[in-house]
Amino acid sequence: MADIATPGMGERLRARWTRLTSSGTGLNIIGLVAAIILLYVVLSLTATGFTTAPNQMGLLRDAAMIGVAATGMTLVIVAGEIDVSIGPAVALSTVIFAKAMTALGLPAIPAMLLTLLCGAAWGGIVGLLRARVGVPSFIGTLGLWNVLGGLALFTTNALPVPVPITDPVIDLLSGRILGVPTPAWVMLVAFAVFGFISTRTAYGRSVYAVGGNSRAARLAGINVAKVRVLIFVTTGLLSAVSGILLTARLGSGNGGAAQGLEFSVIAAVVVGGTAMTGGRGSLFGTFLGVIFITLLGNGLVLLGVNSFLQQVVSGAIIVVAVLLNVILSQRRGISTTD
Amino acid sequence: MGSNSSATVPIVTAHQLSKHYPGVRALDQVDFTVGAGEVRALLGANGAGKSTLIRMISGVEAPDDGWVEIAGARLAGGIRDAARMGVATVYQELSVIREMTVAENLYLGNWMRSWKGIDARSQEREARRILDEIGVVIDPGREVASLTLAEQQIVEIARALHARPKLLILDEPTSALADHEVQLVLQVVRRVAASGVGVIYVSHRMDEIRQVADTVTVMRDGRHVATTDVAGASTARIVELMLGESHTRSTGDYQPRELGEIRLEVDGLDVPPKLSGVSMTIRAGEIVGLAGLLGSGRTELLQAIAGFRAVTAGSVRVNGTAVPAGRPLARKRLGVGLTPEDRKNEGVITELSIAENVVMSDYAKVAGPTGLSRRRIDESATGMRDRLGIKVADLGHSIGTLSGGNQQKAVIGRWLHAGSNVLLLDEPTRGVDVGSKAQIYQIMRSLADEGAAVVFVSSELEELPLVCDRVLVLRGGRLAQQFMAPDIDTAELLTAAMATTNEEN
Repeated sequence: MADIATPGMGERLRARWTRLTSSGTGLNIIGLVAAIILLYVVLSLTATGFTTAPNQMGLLRDAAMIGVAATGMTLVIVAGEIDVSIGPAVALSTVIFAKAMTALGLPAIPAMLLTLLCGAAWGGIVGLLRARVGVPSFIGTLGLWNVLGGLALFTTNALPVPVPITDPVIDLLSGRILGVPTPAWVMLVAFAVFGFISTRTAYGRSVYAVGGNSRAARLAGINVAKVRVLIFVTTGLLSAVSGILLTARLGSGNGGAAQGLEFSVIAAVVVGGTAMTGGRGSLFGTFLGVIFITLLGNGLVLLGVNSFLQQVVSGAIIVVAVLLNVILSQRRGISTTD
Repeated sequence: MGSNSSATVPIVTAHQLSKHYPGVRALDQVDFTVGAGEVRALLGANGAGKSTLIRMISGVEAPDDGWVEIAGARLAGGIRDAARMGVATVYQELSVIREMTVAENLYLGNWMRSWKGIDARSQEREARRILDEIGVVIDPGREVASLTLAEQQIVEIARALHARPKLLILDEPTSALADHEVQLVLQVVRRVAASGVGVIYVSHRMDEIRQVADTVTVMRDGRHVATTDVAGASTARIVELMLGESHTRSTGDYQPRELGEIRLEVDGLDVPPKLSGVSMTIRAGEIVGLAGLLGSGRTELLQAIAGFRAVTAGSVRVNGTAVPAGRPLARKRLGVGLTPEDRKNEGVITELSIAENVVMSDYAKVAGPTGLSRRRIDESATGMRDRLGIKVADLGHSIGTLSGGNQQKAVIGRWLHAGSNVLLLDEPTRGVDVGSKAQIYQIMRSLADEGAAVVFVSSELEELPLVCDRVLVLRGGRLAQQFMAPDIDTAELLTAAMATTNEEN
């Protein structure tokens, strides 16, 4: 309807396109969109049951599982850090949430707040260790991985802790809003919020500055320590959110849940074009990364690939995606650095 | 060639060495000889040709004309050839690996092997022997990180020695050290020379030169100016040789300025290990230069004032308010801005756009009702671009695409954006073309006229008289001397910076 022939508009579009294709991030996004479309089309044609409504809803739930934490992880990696504790953090959160409702007899909302508080607290500890003592975040969060995972299994004897599924809040969290699973909404909100934080707030831009060049950021008067604490508080909080959603979905707290989730989350962020060296990355890229990883996992299951082989295939594809990403950013690097 | 007091066998002889780089004649028919067992100090201002001469002798580069002889044989090839013939060079930056032991560092890439692989025990034994020879007691099994800077420097020298060189070149080996640590290195240099090795010692600290060197060679504009005995030459004389006729003075028509309120008050600041008891007061409208040799603590002083470096005594008042030590954020709020010396690694963030590099010092100023406003960021950055004359096509491009001078202006703009009125500029003209230099001087002048206090650190002494109202000279960890415009003269600045403590004029 709108006349595409308007020269102003065409020019603007062309300018945007040039900008997109001239930057490594832009190319990465174009590539990812193409890969997602391709994957979707191929799976629609080959994988039986892919296009069914239940499978599509399941896809959204799976995406939410990775996506919620991936938003915070994007900031962590942009800041030049890493958090490998997501899986056990989510598992322990399900346990805390379930126990708070059953053992402590708290209503759902206070139980949620307690869970969030715990997540923020352990994130804060790792953040402080990083910022104040200089413990590398890989080590700090690896320790956390063990501690949280151990606590989750110890406190439950590896048995599920059932929650009252009749609770209206639990019902809402495990159900749908406007036909879309609640976790998917939570994920969309998380992406909107973190998209805003990363581009439109002083804190968000400070994260990029710290990741790009922490010495320069410090000398420019940016509170580097604060940034480093807050990013881990964020991933702690988001793990708690994921834990709460997972509890509602499973109907129980489960100390062994979400195994290996940290790898999917990190993979989604990196496939989405965020540089492991820090300073570069976008929430939109991560969003595409989450969709790509989720589609890939779902497709391999539906195509009946042997579950051990699934790991091999998805691992290889992720490495190739990152490899392309690195090559792109290197090409860009050569053309701009002096 | 000047007289060579120690008439010994020449270890190195340069014959009519010439080297051109695009646009510069770096070396111009230089003759140069150092004898066995002689310590020769090599002096010259920036760009005098010292480094080029060293690069020729150590085989890093080949001369366009002339040649180098090492112990009578003509140097033909590159670094390896020079090393084989007996030239060892220790560069300014420490290149030891801190995580390894002293012995491992000495034999890095040159491991002693036996049938069991690398023979750590023999390496330690040999390392101990080398260290004994130069008269220092350092356990070769210790990790280098646990040593003092002076000891690390000695490990660096010992590494150069284990190839049994005939000529040892030391490029400002004490610049990273505090005054009291220097003695250890000087001792080693004397021991090395006593064993018959010729030493070329690049340094500008006359104190040290008088203690270790027999003779001194002064270079200027790529030429050999003079070689004389150290004992017979006063610092003032050597400065005269270094600068020739080219020294700058403040212009004669200098008008004393109306100074405003006190912006910065530093009182009795101790910054270990480099500085002690530094006091100064700077007022609005004033540009104060800070001169001193490499390693004199200029950068440390600026960082301490801005709160980025620990101090053990003293106080800093900014615009009348005392700030506790180590509070960079509080000092930023009070108006302190620091532009770092190492622009590439500490100044700019190349992952971010020019605009973002400018506004990152104060995001609140570019926030709208719904978070950071792209429009305001653009406005602020555009304003700064116009005010400072940053030449740029698109403020949205990476700051890495700018020339050095324009990057520097953007980093200065960062502090103007934050509203700083105490500007600490650490080598703002380093690596900047001549045109941009003049523009940066102008920016400094107009900022001072608008009421800022500007502290200007520069190792190119000739630019200080051009812009400063006052110059303070750091030497031996203290503010040694002060010069007021219009009586600021490069030669006097250099003399003050180089002088031994007992020959102040």
